[in-house]
Amino acid sequence: MAGHVARTVAQYLLVLFAAISLNFALPRLAPGDAVDYLLPPEQAGSLTPEQRTQVLSQFGLDEPLATQFGDYLSGLARGDLLFSVRYGRPVTELLAERVGWSALLVGGAVLLSTVIGAVLGFRSAWRRGTSRDAGTLTGVMLVDSLPPFFVGMVLILVFSVQLDLFPIFGALPTVDTSGPALVGEVIRRSVLPLVTLTLAYIGPVYLVARSALVSELQEDYVLMAEAKGLSDRQVRRHAERNALLPLSTVTLIGLGALVGGAAVVETVFSYPGLGRLIYEAVLARDYAVLQGAFLLLAIGVIVANFVNDLLYPLLDPRVRRPRAATA
Amino acid sequence: MTAPAPLSAVDVPEPPPAPIAAVAAKASLARRLGGLGAGLLLFLVLVALFAPLIARHDPDLPSGLPYESPSLAHPFGTNDVGQDLFAQLVFGTRVSLTIATLSALVALGVGLTVALLAGYHRGRVEAALMRLVDLILAFPFMVLVIVLAAFFGRGLLTTVVILAGVIWARPARVLRSQVLKVREYQHVVGARAMGASTSRCICRHVVPRIAPLAAAQFVRAANIAVLLEASLSFLGLGDPNRVSWGTMLYFANARNAFLTDAWLWWILPPGLALTAAILGFAFLGYAIEELADPRLARAAPRHSRRGARRPPAVTPAEGAHAGMVLEVRDLSVEYLADPPVRAVDGVSFSVGPGRVLGLVGESGSGKSTLVMALLGLLRPPGRVVAGNATVNGRELGRLHRAAVARVRGREIGFIPQNAMNALNPAYTVHHQVTEAAALTRDLSAARQRATEVLELVGIPAPRHRAYPHELSGGMRQRVVIAMAVTNEPSLLVADEPVTGLDVVTSARVLRLLLELRDRLGLSILLVSHDLPLVARVADDLLVMYGGRIVERGGAKAVTGAPAHPYTRQLLSAFPSLRGPRRRMTGLTSEPTDLTAPSAGCPFHPRCPDRGEACRCTHPPLVEVDVGHEAACLMRDQ
Repeated sequence: MAGHVARTVAQYLLVLFAAISLNFALPRLAPGDAVDYLLPPEQAGSLTPEQRTQVLSQFGLDEPLATQFGDYLSGLARGDLLFSVRYGRPVTELLAERVGWSALLVGGAVLLSTVIGAVLGFRSAWRRGTSRDAGTLTGVMLVDSLPPFFVGMVLILVFSVQLDLFPIFGALPTVDTSGPALVGEVIRRSVLPLVTLTLAYIGPVYLVARSALVSELQEDYVLMAEAKGLSDRQVRRHAERNALLPLSTVTLIGLGALVGGAAVVETVFSYPGLGRLIYEAVLARDYAVLQGAFLLLAIGVIVANFVNDLLYPLLDPRVRRPRAATA
Repeated sequence: MTAPAPLSAVDVPEPPPAPIAAVAAKASLARRLGGLGAGLLLFLVLVALFAPLIARHDPDLPSGLPYESPSLAHPFGTNDVGQDLFAQLVFGTRVSLTIATLSALVALGVGLTVALLAGYHRGRVEAALMRLVDLILAFPFMVLVIVLAAFFGRGLLTTVVILAGVIWARPARVLRSQVLKVREYQHVVGARAMGASTSRCICRHVVPRIAPLAAAQFVRAANIAVLLEASLSFLGLGDPNRVSWGTMLYFANARNAFLTDAWLWWILPPGLALTAAILGFAFLGYAIEELADPRLARAAPRHSRRGARRPPAVTPAEGAHAGMVLEVRDLSVEYLADPPVRAVDGVSFSVGPGRVLGLVGESGSGKSTLVMALLGLLRPPGRVVAGNATVNGRELGRLHRAAVARVRGREIGFIPQNAMNALNPAYTVHHQVTEAAALTRDLSAARQRATEVLELVGIPAPRHRAYPHELSGGMRQRVVIAMAVTNEPSLLVADEPVTGLDVVTSARVLRLLLELRDRLGLSILLVSHDLPLVARVADDLLVMYGGRIVERGGAKAVTGAPAHPYTRQLLSAFPSLRGPRRRMTGLTSEPTDLTAPSAGCPFHPRCPDRGEACRCTHPPLVEVDVGHEAACLMRDQ
């Protein structure tokens, strides 16, 4: 068990290191001069070659790569993620402001899509081969094929523009509110992005839940459960208990997909999360922010996967209590 | 050591016949969706090919006034700078499909190469490659794509490289596990052993085998690529020189098309076109995967709902022999197919209280089907077509699910084939026995009963809270027996209860069953392919062949003076430790094919004693001695 944990930790540290290295390498591999990534475009364009060299040495970019990498790592350790050229503020500050909103959206969407996808998928599996199963399967695939930003735009059109039920923009009310009213307003403004993001992830959860339960229902223990006289509901619970295993993995790994989806959905709804920040950074060629956000998201997903690996044994007794030496 | 005859002592558990109707239903859904997907994609490909003929304007140049309403000249109107929206939609098909196809091709190429490399160079190379794959899969790929695109610029080729660079990991992972599986196939192992080179093995044997899966992965990759390309374009990171569907939506969003009436023409068409493309790939991918998946054959519906709703017959049995625990009359079971397979054909028998009835036959004789029918657990397309049964005088009619459900676990206990694997890995064994006990008592009494009955079958108290994987095979077997007898049923049905256990353990399990019979007053229906073993513990024997009973009688009478040639062959297929040495004969050919029933004796093609009459006359069961019957025409001659 301890060996397993150590190996898992080592693997994730490796992934983390790769993410950090990639982040370090990106601006250095990309076409053009590093100066283009350090200064706002209009400023960088007007520099003389001498000035460019000066900027490079100012940022330590004329040092050997190894030294640069060392500086970069020690900067990271101090939580220093450079400056945003657009906002003129440390990237760390910007990220701290935005990350909560994204966590709200992504966390809510993970929860909702998992519950809905699992319920639909299990029901389909139980009635597999029937027309209801076929209908649900087709319907879920259809919903899954709708691009999230398109869904977002249509929701805005219908519920904000035509019906005027929800505000189009932002997460916070424009007028000053506080207390319960503020909470209500925040919830109201997150409904549409949350629905959009949830719809985007029901499909994968549904498909995994369905195929997991279908294969569990073919196991011998299901026949035994029936034969010993259990009701259909009890039999179903037996199989679902085991079908939850692959589902937990999918849910947490899907975080990665959802985080990406959030980037697009937040843009549609002008929701002030990390995704929106990334979009703004892309438009403004604000590479420091882009790198910082990427690193933060990568770390988030890696941590989620790590937590999944640690939680998995709680669900599966075969991992939690490996076979004791019995005859 | 073993008998030279093909009827080996270690029987393969009878596989349930393929549920043909269900497979057909499932396959037809996959085929329908696949057809739909292919149709959608074909339509889009045609639009892309003939774009210049379909659209009358250049998508990139203003061809009208800003925000023109739909008209003949501009079917979808124009956008804010007067570009024709219909032309953009039509030409956008080209961009989306080109990028999707190219990215998917590159991703598949890289993925397949990695899969073959990893599958064929185990060890370091594989470990390194798979670590890389895991790494890429763990990253939030959409964000990765956005960041890469922001750094490396916007252009068709750049986009393709970036998308492929992110997508390839998934096909690599899926295909590698398939390569590993195919590598171990008999004929591939054989080819390797005969000195075929690695490249020849891969080209001739491996690649053709994984082709269907690779095709499915290609379609899936294209599916993801369409969405990723659209997302990039939607964020303004697409190719600036070509208008794609995502670009149209980008401009619609950036220029607040919602606030004008143009949204209907500006937002819906590209969004729906995207959905159509993604859906087309999704349907096609699903269909290819399902149709290429061998597991398909087992994904049958559990049971028909109609059967469950039918009101059970609970009329008192007419003409039932008083005092019989189980009585089966003229039971016939068919598997729905074309033509239907009659697996059990007009079987009648009864089990008296405290008796052990052995039901013997080789694989495919219909004994497992008979047992499943008795328990009401037949799955479609299997169904009882005639006959009925009573348990303790209680009429179960044609053994519909709902009727049998009332006695299952209460009056009939069941020990399935492979009982060792019949426990749920997620619950402790005590919990699983408690569940059964709770059918007839409240929870605390059930817990107590579970402890009691586990001890009765010889599981020591410290092991009661163990999970199944923590117990040995013999112990798991005992737990299953405990579950079956918890509610003191009057009948215990045991289907191959000792197959797969070693000799010592199987002797113990049989002894336990007999003990339980004495202590609980059980009757036992013991099903096995192993006639000598069954004869040791059974009071009476039934020998089944081709879905029919061919011989029945007291165990001593049947084994001492077998009256049917099939019984004689079953007996001589097993060597005896005592008694004179004799030649092992056994059965020489395959069991009779039930899909092609003949009018005559089902056994005659394999029968050493067959006569002319056997080919066309069906032999009835006739008494050969008191309480001993056999169905053989040649008895009288």
